[in-house]
Amino acid sequence: MSQLNKKRTANNVKSYLSKPANLITILFLVILILTVVIPLFTLLIGSFKVNGNQEAIYIMQEGVEDGSFTFHHWTELLTSKEFDYASIKFWTPLAQSALMALLACVVAVGFGGVVAWFITRSDLPGKKFISTVFVFPYIMPSWSMAMFWENFFKNTSINAGMGILQSVTGICVPESMVYGLVPCAMSLGLHYAPFAYILIGGILRNMDANLEEAATVLKASRAKILRKVTLPIVFPALVSTVLLVFSSSISSFTVPFFLNKSSINSGNNFISISVQMRSLINTGFTKGQGYVIAIVLMIFSIAILTLNNWFTGKRKSFTTVTGKSGQVSLVKLGKARKPIAIILLIITAFFAIVPLVSFAMESLLEVPGDWSTFTLRYWISTEPFEGSNKGDTIGILMSKTMWQAMGRSLLLAALVSVFAGTFGLLIGYAVASKRGSKLATLVSNMAFLPYLIPSMSFGAVYLALSYTKGFTWLDGSFFLLFMVGTIKFMPFASRTGTSAMMQLSGEIEEAAIIMGVPWRRRMTKVLFPIQKSSFISGYLLPFISCMREMSLFVLLAASYTTLVTTLLQEYSRTGLTQASNAINLLIIVVVLIIQFVVNKLTGASIDKGVGG
Amino acid sequence: MPKIILENVTKRFDKFVAVDNLNMVIEDREFITLLGPSGCGKTTTLRMIAGLETPTEGRITIGDQVVFDANEGINISPSKRDIGFLFQNYALWPHMTVYQNIAFGLENLKWSKEAIRDRVAEMLALLKIEQFEKRYPSELSGGQQQRVAIARTLAPNPKVLFMDEPLSNLDAKLRLEMRTELKRLHTDNDSTFVYVTHDQLEAMTLATRICLMKVGVLQQYAPPLEVYNNPANLFVADFVGSPTMNFIEGVIDQTEGEDVRISAGSLKLRYHPVSKSGSLTPGQKVVLGVRPEFIKIEETGALKGKVYSTLPSGMETIVKVELGDIMLTSVIFGGVDFEVNTPVAMNITTEHIALFDAESRDQVAMGALEHV
Repeated sequence: MSQLNKKRTANNVKSYLSKPANLITILFLVILILTVVIPLFTLLIGSFKVNGNQEAIYIMQEGVEDGSFTFHHWTELLTSKEFDYASIKFWTPLAQSALMALLACVVAVGFGGVVAWFITRSDLPGKKFISTVFVFPYIMPSWSMAMFWENFFKNTSINAGMGILQSVTGICVPESMVYGLVPCAMSLGLHYAPFAYILIGGILRNMDANLEEAATVLKASRAKILRKVTLPIVFPALVSTVLLVFSSSISSFTVPFFLNKSSINSGNNFISISVQMRSLINTGFTKGQGYVIAIVLMIFSIAILTLNNWFTGKRKSFTTVTGKSGQVSLVKLGKARKPIAIILLIITAFFAIVPLVSFAMESLLEVPGDWSTFTLRYWISTEPFEGSNKGDTIGILMSKTMWQAMGRSLLLAALVSVFAGTFGLLIGYAVASKRGSKLATLVSNMAFLPYLIPSMSFGAVYLALSYTKGFTWLDGSFFLLFMVGTIKFMPFASRTGTSAMMQLSGEIEEAAIIMGVPWRRRMTKVLFPIQKSSFISGYLLPFISCMREMSLFVLLAASYTTLVTTLLQEYSRTGLTQASNAINLLIIVVVLIIQFVVNKLTGASIDKGVGG
Repeated sequence: MPKIILENVTKRFDKFVAVDNLNMVIEDREFITLLGPSGCGKTTTLRMIAGLETPTEGRITIGDQVVFDANEGINISPSKRDIGFLFQNYALWPHMTVYQNIAFGLENLKWSKEAIRDRVAEMLALLKIEQFEKRYPSELSGGQQQRVAIARTLAPNPKVLFMDEPLSNLDAKLRLEMRTELKRLHTDNDSTFVYVTHDQLEAMTLATRICLMKVGVLQQYAPPLEVYNNPANLFVADFVGSPTMNFIEGVIDQTEGEDVRISAGSLKLRYHPVSKSGSLTPGQKVVLGVRPEFIKIEETGALKGKVYSTLPSGMETIVKVELGDIMLTSVIFGGVDFEVNTPVAMNITTEHIALFDAESRDQVAMGALEHV
């Protein structure tokens, strides 16, 4: 009997694994446990133990040595009243970041939502151009808006050099308009406005126009239709947008990093929680406290996603009944048509094109705003800049460091894109062919987890791992960057992959199975070609995100694995504004060219997927 | 009382003409179906009358009010046309309960709370959906959602009711049931119905008049039986009726007084027109249209063929018969099952045989047929 049982079990296992979908599910379960779950645990443990001898010295408690268990990180950071430590290091930055994120939401949803409505629901002229250009700021690295903001508003009254506004109009805005909370929130809001536009526009576009028409026929006024029908239906998307923008903004590192300067002693001391986290982790004494912040930020994100799921999963949720939605009657703007188009065009172009001009300008002027100091040396000089203590800070196009970093970034982005894209596609395949299976859902959720973890925290997770015994070989290595990038950007790919696979009916693959087509050929010759442009978007998104990513790599890149973004951060930190503007322009141009070429060749585009 | 008049109504989307110079009068309390294959402009026509779509040219009058006139620039909003509209996909608001969905239109009319409550209760009872009052649309089945949509449309008591394929998302049994109810509603409500469908059976059974369209052009506007028995052209003849009409292509050999002799393949036929709407001349290419029920399979008959296939469905049987190189479809009452290739004899005894001109595709005569 037991012999039979054994045989049966063996056969069951064999037949289970003979299905590629099952094999993929198991494979990714293992991969994700290794790359997501274990590092998260390492981070959690890191916040409860002494990390290194310096930390042991810093804590100064009896019996505390490297590796021993302690509550010290949590208690000191969250409760210490000594010199207002907890307030200054944790609660104030957290509150300021939260406020910044809230403001960013208002800007993003307000701006993006209004544009989405005009594009999808009105007879506005020039829609195609506006919608193409409007997504620009989202394709640019997240700090671009911050750099642009600084370039535009900085002025000599706060000792920051002459910005565009001052050189054109002579107006000097107060420091709080150049650095600090409001500018950070505005930059984030403007960066995420296209994201809000993509999400809200998607719902508005897919929303059945009949729902509004039914209300019109029943004699509801325009205002009432908007209030009682359109908004409530778009509400879940609105909430999703707000929550996602909030969670991305609160943990944003790059924007506050560029805009938290304070050039004169004005009491304008805005410090965001993520900047704080970095400074805590970067000293050897308080790594554990940095991990605490990483965990707090992660809890925030997960709470937000849970809230999001709860909101969108309610019983009156949006039901998609497919009908004749093709016939959308657009709201006639009448006389306001042209003026609105022109205003939108100007605003869109201002935030999409002027930044590029400003980066170019900044990189070409020795003294910002002063054209008599025009110089090409930040691009092509072969002499080191005076005052710099780095031997290699020469014109960026001549700099070996820069080209190495650029090459490394491209290689990294390409590798990450190939792996993340393929992983996403395979996960999508497994989830779609095992619809409803608990294991597949678990894998799919786990693959989405990295999206929720703020980039900085994610970096911290792997940093903690690379300090752990047995993993020290990872420290500062290119492989570490590759692994982190692949895992972090996999959610984009797995989302696009899953939704593309879900749209394919099972029969399409089954037809090929019956004809005896092997799995690899089914994937490459049947499934992939049908949803080609979606899948390629699944590759394109990780590539672009990786190319422009800074927060994720800033903790992990060593001097011998400098990426182009970390180099930019280095230049900016050492005050070489011209060089950092030049590099930023270079990154944007590279990303735009690649995006444009891929779009023209394959039809895939960035706004087909959802990014953060 | 509302009478709807369409004069020279045209709708163009860029260069594509959706509706071409449509003229139509819908009398008060009529049940009109706009019938045609998909893409023929029937939904566009309905939406133009309702005001959801703006015609490119023409004039639309509802009752004594001009609701649209391209020349005078009149375009009254749908909310002021006193109409009801039932959408194909129901367009129930997902965030409102059944009660709120039905009450919404009444609230817009500033009815009192009590009046609204009474009217909604009345509608719920009429459509037998009382128990779903507090549910959201996503919690109802297709048929239930459809009833809610009807209740919502009928609640404000519109004088004109527009329906865009309201039954196409329902299963066959429910569709039949709802057809009966819609016909009842029409008589009970004293209102004018305009109904879009691509289902000729639905149009036949419901309408007082059918408006049959093809790529934006009106083909025939007449009561259902008139459309069935006296089709204006080959398109109408082919579109209406199931199984479809038999078409026999032939050439007029010679005229014999009123009668004409037609040869169709190996068949030699004599056609006797009862009514004529065009000329019949020797050498003219024609198409004979014979409804399947007029082809009787009998012991003896003038036409001899053999059975190609038999499809008995209980109440009636569809028999396909090969007659030389011509295939004819016959419908006989009751269930019969012929062996394949059984020789049979047939008679065509009716004065309802249509004769079409093969060039213009228009009907030129109705009459009787005789085998020579």
